[in-house]
This record gives sequence, structure tokens and C-alpha cells, in this order.
Amino acid sequence: MLIFENIKLALSSIRVNKMRSFLTMLGMIIGISSVIAIVSLGDTMRSAIAKEYENVGSTLGYLYINSPDGYYTDDYLFTAEDKDMVKEAFGDRLTYLGFNSSSKATMKNGRVTKEGNLIGLAENPAEYKKLNILKGKLFSNLDVENARPFVILEEKDAMELFGSIDVVGRTIRTVIGTETKELTVTGVYRNQDSALMKLLSGSNNTRFTAYVPETLIFPKGSTAWSLYFCVKSSYNVEEVGNQVARYVAKIKNKEESQVMFYSAQKEMGTIDSMMGGLSAVVGAIAAISLVVGGIGIMNIMLVSVTERTREIGIRKALGARTQDILSQFLIESAIISAAGGAVGTALGIGVVAIGGMFVNMAVVVKPQVVIIAVVFSAVVGIFFGLYPAAKAAKADPIEALRYE
Amino acid sequence: MRNIIEIQNLNKIYDTGAVQVHALKEVNLTIQEGEYVAIMGKSGSGKSTLMNILGCLDRPTSGSYVLDGIDVAKENPKQISYIRNQKIGFVFQSFNLIPRTSALKNVELPMIYGRVPAKERLARAKELLEKVGLGDRLDHMPNEISGGQKQRIAVARALANHPAILLADEPTGNLDTPSSVEVMNLFTQLNREGVTVIVVTHEDDIAAFTNRIIRFQDGQLIEDKRRGEHADF
Ligand SMILES: Nc1ncnc2c1ncn2[C@@H]1O[C@H](COP(=O)(O)OP(=O)(O)OP(=O)(O)O)[C@@H](O)[C@H]1O
Ligand SMILES: [Mg+2]
Repeated sequence: MLIFENIKLALSSIRVNKMRSFLTMLGMIIGISSVIAIVSLGDTMRSAIAKEYENVGSTLGYLYINSPDGYYTDDYLFTAEDKDMVKEAFGDRLTYLGFNSSSKATMKNGRVTKEGNLIGLAENPAEYKKLNILKGKLFSNLDVENARPFVILEEKDAMELFGSIDVVGRTIRTVIGTETKELTVTGVYRNQDSALMKLLSGSNNTRFTAYVPETLIFPKGSTAWSLYFCVKSSYNVEEVGNQVARYVAKIKNKEESQVMFYSAQKEMGTIDSMMGGLSAVVGAIAAISLVVGGIGIMNIMLVSVTERTREIGIRKALGARTQDILSQFLIESAIISAAGGAVGTALGIGVVAIGGMFVNMAVVVKPQVVIIAVVFSAVVGIFFGLYPAAKAAKADPIEALRYE
Repeated sequence: MRNIIEIQNLNKIYDTGAVQVHALKEVNLTIQEGEYVAIMGKSGSGKSTLMNILGCLDRPTSGSYVLDGIDVAKENPKQISYIRNQKIGFVFQSFNLIPRTSALKNVELPMIYGRVPAKERLARAKELLEKVGLGDRLDHMPNEISGGQKQRIAVARALANHPAILLADEPTGNLDTPSSVEVMNLFTQLNREGVTVIVVTHEDDIAAFTNRIIRFQDGQLIEDKRRGEHADF
């Protein structure tokens, strides 16, 4: 097959026609780099979302009661008593049980005023929300039980309100609804959300997000839409969640089918497969550009074969076999497209890496995506090189030698 | 001396659709090993057609051609490639060197297709270029040298695989007189070393280098003279 000689021939022919070879490769470069960039972008988003759910916890589930007519009276909502009953029945299997309540509030320290949300945490808050506490600590269960006026501020909000993050023990005047409370700062946390998550959750820099004991913003007699819970890791979330749902249906006198239960795991699976499907579709569209690149290669190879008709005739007259000529041109087109594929891979990874730098995210480039892309580009090169190479190989030496 | 070429009742008809051109008519010809032959004739008399068939670049319409004991008509394409590579050295009027490829590489080419190991190939190519007087032009490209030098490279290339016959179709057609003489002297020298040489030419001066002159007219062999048979030859 003269592979080694033909590789040398192909390289020198590419070198002689530098510009043309580059333009031919351009199709492959654009195709491969966009496939890699798009698929890697999708993978990066998926891993970011997966990480977010990891922070929330894979043991998390929540349920609510669905009203058939869309009209929610109190018997569709949860009270503190309902929560206590669930806790009584499932305390051995749950690590956390709360309402996921939140309340708009305004904080004021001296001249600085900030609007934002207070989010309530129930007993064992660490089980539910994995906060990166920089200063101080989370609430104790006693703090929650006694509705102590404690608050955990975000680093940036502490800086704005107090000009420092060493603010554990300081108090802040907070207006919640119509009430005004003096909250004592017990901790400062750092927001670990990625740029993407911040974008998705719509949090912005002007509003604060602070955590308080749930009991503080959920006084006796209030009602909530949903119950949030974390299941002990030795139990199955789906199983326990369904048991809780059945129990809730019983105590609230509702049909079991009316109690809607969702687990973080299941939701994540849904989002994950959605994102996966999306990047597959977009990746497939990008893959079409690879085919276009392949046609570009075929076009140039046909030109090259025609241009070199006489050379082919000479080679045949000197004793080149059909397969020698075939492999000469096949190897040339495979090298052009594989080189295009390699450059495209580097470019695609570069684009993703630079993009990742901008949104401050660790990018994910799966090796199998790269391998598939490069192998695919070589296959495209061979496939689209086949016709021109066959044309060259079966040229009649007399005709070819006569070609001007 | 054994026969290196035996041709019997050879016909070549080009069918161009509208007209049929009978380029070779019932040609019978035997050439022995070590002969030095000139083929002459008017333009269109069928000389190149015969050379292409002798060089296995083309096939006859009918008749038989035995080259060095091989009945060429019976061979498959792969074996034909092998015969072209191993048995035949072809020199063209228009040189037909591969462009942008050094003299050395051009001479190596038949040996590449003959699967000669690289080292041996290189040594043989150098030796041949030295033999044709171009030992100092190994790395020159075809566009950097004169026509006479190109043709000598082509001769070196034709000799690469020790062919049974050296075929030259108007090798001096594109050369001036000194270069033509140079190339013909080379053929004469090769013939003295035992190579069978067949040269197509229009010029009597060129034919005078050879020992046998075969004349064609309208596709037919009309004259076959050996040196010594006639006073003028
Ligand atoms: N491929 C072809 N198709 C049709 N006719 C052809 C073809 N090749 C040659 N011929 C015809 O065959 C005849 C012999 O041609 P050939 O080339 O053998 O002549 P020649 O003796 O080599 O002439 P010259 O001295 O001009 O080279 C001519 O009439 C020519 O027109
Ligand atoms: Mg001719």
C-alpha cells in the first residue's frame, strides 16, 4: 500500500498548495469546533446544574396538595400542626422538615437600606441548605424552636450594610411585613452559585438573600403551600417521599393522587435529560456543517485529481498500481480532514475555555466528544475522498498522459 | 539471442464513434535481446500507437504480443502494472517528469512502486543520475534544468528497475542538436551494455545511431533494414 511514501506525498502536496489546503480544512475546522463547543457547553451547563442540586442535596423532596379547581382553601395548605404530625410519624426517617418559607424584608443599618428576601430554615438547617459559612455558625435547633431573632447574611450584603464581614453579634434593624425586628447576625456565608445559576435563579446584586429561623417568619397559625424534607441517606427518597405523601393525604383528608410529591433527584434527571436532548439536537445540527466540510474536501480533491491527471498517467506508466494511486489520494484527503479536525478540536476547546472564563465556570470537555469528533472528521475525509481517489485510480494511462 | 519482443498479426483500431482509425494493420515484428532499433515513418503512421502497445500502456485490438516470454494479452491489471514497472523503461518526447519533485525522487519513483527498500533505492537513483552525467543535480526540480538534462533524468528513471526493454518515443523531438546527440550517445552506451533499445524518430541522423530501422506507413510495417544489409546503412 506504500502508506509511508503516500503520507510523505500527501504532506508535500499539502505544503505546495498551502492556501488551498487551509481553505479546504476551514470547513472541517468550523464544523468540528462548533460541534465540540456546543456539546461541551451543554455538558458544562449540565454539570453546573448537577452541582447545584448537589448543594441542595440529593435526599431532598417536597410535596404539595393539588386543588382540582385551582382554588386553594386552608385545607389544601400546611400548618405547623401538620408539620408536627409528619415529624411525629416520620422523624426516624427524615433529617429535615420545613416549609421552605420566605418573606420580603428591608434591612437598615444607619444610612444603608437594602431590600431582599429572608428564607426560613427549620431544625437541622445544615441538612437542607449547604451554606458556606465564613464567619459564625448556623442556627441551633433551640434557636429554631424559640424563634430567636437571628440572621445569616451573605458576605456582600454584610460588606454593604456594615462595611465588614466581621459582624457576628451585631444587630440589624429589619422590617418584615409590618413588623420591625432587631436581628442578631450569627453568621456570614458566601454565595457559591455559579454565574449560570445566578442568572437562572434571577438573583441580583442589589437584593439580599439572608437566612433566618423558619419560626421567625412563620408564626403560629400561618399556612404554607408545601412541605420540604430531607430523607436519611440510608433510606430511599422516592419510597419515603411516597409514604409521606400517602400519610399527608390521610391526615388532610384528600385523595392520594392529589398529593404531588417531587424529589430533587427526579427533577434533576428531568432537567438533565432535557439538556442532554437539547445539546444532542444542536450538536446534530452542527454535525451537518461537518458534512458540508466533507463536500468541500471532495470538491478540492476532484480539482486536485483533474489537475494532476498527467502526473497520474506518468505514475501509472512507471508501474503504479490502481491501489497505489487510490491510497495516495485517500491518504491526502484523510490527512487534510484529520488536520482540520485536530485544529477544530483545539479551537472548540479554546472557545469553550474562554467562554468558561467569562462566566466563571469550570468547563467540561469530555474526551469521548473529542475522540468522536476527530475520528468522525477522518471518516468524513476518507468517505468524501473516496470518489475523487477512485476517479484518479481508474484513469487510463494513455488518456492521462495526453491530458494538457 | 532470444526474442524479447514477438508481435503477430497485431491490429489496433481506434473507434471514435463517427470514424474508425485503423492505426496498426497486421503488424508482425520480432526484436531480439540487445537490439538497437529505430522506428520511422510519417506522422500518423502508427509509431506511437505501436510504442504504447509495446509499453503496455495500451492494448491491441487483435493479435498477440509476447514480451520477454509473457503473453501480455492474458495478464490482469495488477500484473500489467508489474510488467510496466519491472520490464519496461519508457522515455517520452515531453520528458514527463513529475513536477515539483526532485531529480532524485523522480528516479526513485519506479523503485518505490517496485517496493525496493529505501536505502537501496537511494543508492541506485544516485548511481543512475551519475551515469547520465547529472550526479550534481540530484536535488534540482524539473523546472530548474534544461530539456536535455530533463531527458537524461527521464532515461535514468526508465532504467531504474533494470527493464528488459527501453522504449523512447521521439526522445529528441523537443531537444536541440547537441542535446539530441547527448541523449543518443547515452542510448548507444546503454545498448553496448546490453540494454534493448527502441527509438521512434523522424530524423535520419538520429536513426543512424541504431543498428536496425523499421519503417511504418499507414499502420503497416513496410521496411525492416539492418546495418550492413545496405550500402547506406
Ligand atoms: N486516441 C486516439 N483516438 C483516435 N485516433 C487516434 C488516437 N491515437 C492515435 N490515433 C490515430 O491513429 C493514427 C496513428 O497515430 P500515432 O499517434 O500512432 O501516429 P505517429 O506515427 O506516432 O505520428 P507522429 O509522428 O505525429 O507522432 C493516426 O491517424 C491518429 O490520428
Ligand atoms: Mg507519435
